[in-house]
Amino acid sequence: MVMQEPAVQDENGFDTYVNGGVPSTTGPKIEVVASNESDPGAATFCIRDEDHTLGNALRYIIMKNPAVEFCGYSIPHPSEYMVNLRIQTDGSISAVDALHRGLDDLINLTSHISSTFQDKVQAFK
Amino acid sequence: MNYSNFTQNANKPFVSITGQDQESISFILSNTDLSVANAIRRAMIAEVTTMAIDLVEFENNTSVLTDEFIAHRLGLIPLFSSDVDTMIPFTSRECSCQQYCPSCSVELHLNVKCDQESRSVTSNDLISVHQQIKPITSESDSGILIAKLVKGQEISLRCIAKKGIAKEHAKWSPCAAVAFEYDPHNRLRHTTYWVEDDVKSEWPVSKNGELEEEPAEDEPFDYLAKPNKFYYNVETTGALKPQEAIIAGLKVLQKKLAFIKKNVEGIAEEVGTGGVEERMF
Repeated sequence: MVMQEPAVQDENGFDTYVNGGVPSTTGPKIEVVASNESDPGAATFCIRDEDHTLGNALRYIIMKNPAVEFCGYSIPHPSEYMVNLRIQTDGSISAVDALHRGLDDLINLTSHISSTFQDKVQAFK
Repeated sequence: MNYSNFTQNANKPFVSITGQDQESISFILSNTDLSVANAIRRAMIAEVTTMAIDLVEFENNTSVLTDEFIAHRLGLIPLFSSDVDTMIPFTSRECSCQQYCPSCSVELHLNVKCDQESRSVTSNDLISVHQQIKPITSESDSGILIAKLVKGQEISLRCIAKKGIAKEHAKWSPCAAVAFEYDPHNRLRHTTYWVEDDVKSEWPVSKNGELEEEPAEDEPFDYLAKPNKFYYNVETTGALKPQEAIIAGLKVLQKKLAFIKKNVEGIAEEVGTGGVEERMF
């Protein structure tokens, strides 16, 4: 697929994402933009080169985790191609763990849809 | 509901196919959230890779149409793009070549001179150097019209087709139309109809409405209800088969998630250090 692995790096060694020809932001794919050492359960992540396609689905799946008390996403500015994702847990797991779990769950979910869909298409013929 | 229950149940949506033909497929996705259903819809419209003509070099154009007008029309012609990633491994940005090469592009030629009174130039006149990647054909029509020539006029050009996604230009979208509907009886009141006299006669319920129970006249509004059943009808341009476009869309989502997952590995130690903003000030 296109543009998953960034091809260009800037002078600081940061990846530059050229999203389907649209000049995009420069920086790591994902970073922590806000967190506090007293509470690893709360953090805001910035994911570059993503939009509502992943933001909303990721928000939903992370929110499904009973250890997560809050999860929300926003696109701070429409011309900057990035998503901010806020996670707050009840303290039993860290925000990074919740994000990890969410990513795994969403990957499993999509592969389940893909395989059931393929089975159903086969059966329909 | 505990978490293991969630991973067992809510993580397992259902799919049922309701109709299929050459250009389109109808299916119902249920037992999942609107955000997931919408992610699939968005991915297959905008992020599935296909081939489309991107560069056109004119050798001769004595038709009444301008070069850029014809170039635009050529770009919009769907090219067979099944298994494009195995045949053309790179997009031109990823490729190490200077401008374009066989691993990131396909060349097509169009050389037409009108010797009769008049003739049509169609996508059938476009000759691709590639075995599979060429303009779509179907028994039902005689090609996509590019231009019309009268006696003596000529078009002769060379095209470079490149791999891309519809986020850059809609010509790369494999989908001609994606119908997406949920809650056909508007039970959830996600939409407000503009009505003159009677909602029922002015806003007839779609065919999908037959598959869901009609709400009773005096039914109280369930403000906690969430959409659960999503009706799709995916119609492709011919670049991909409808089922291929859907599977490719899901694959795009998986690749995006896997790439984020790979990058999350390195940020665990960043949490608790205040994050970028706090460190900057």
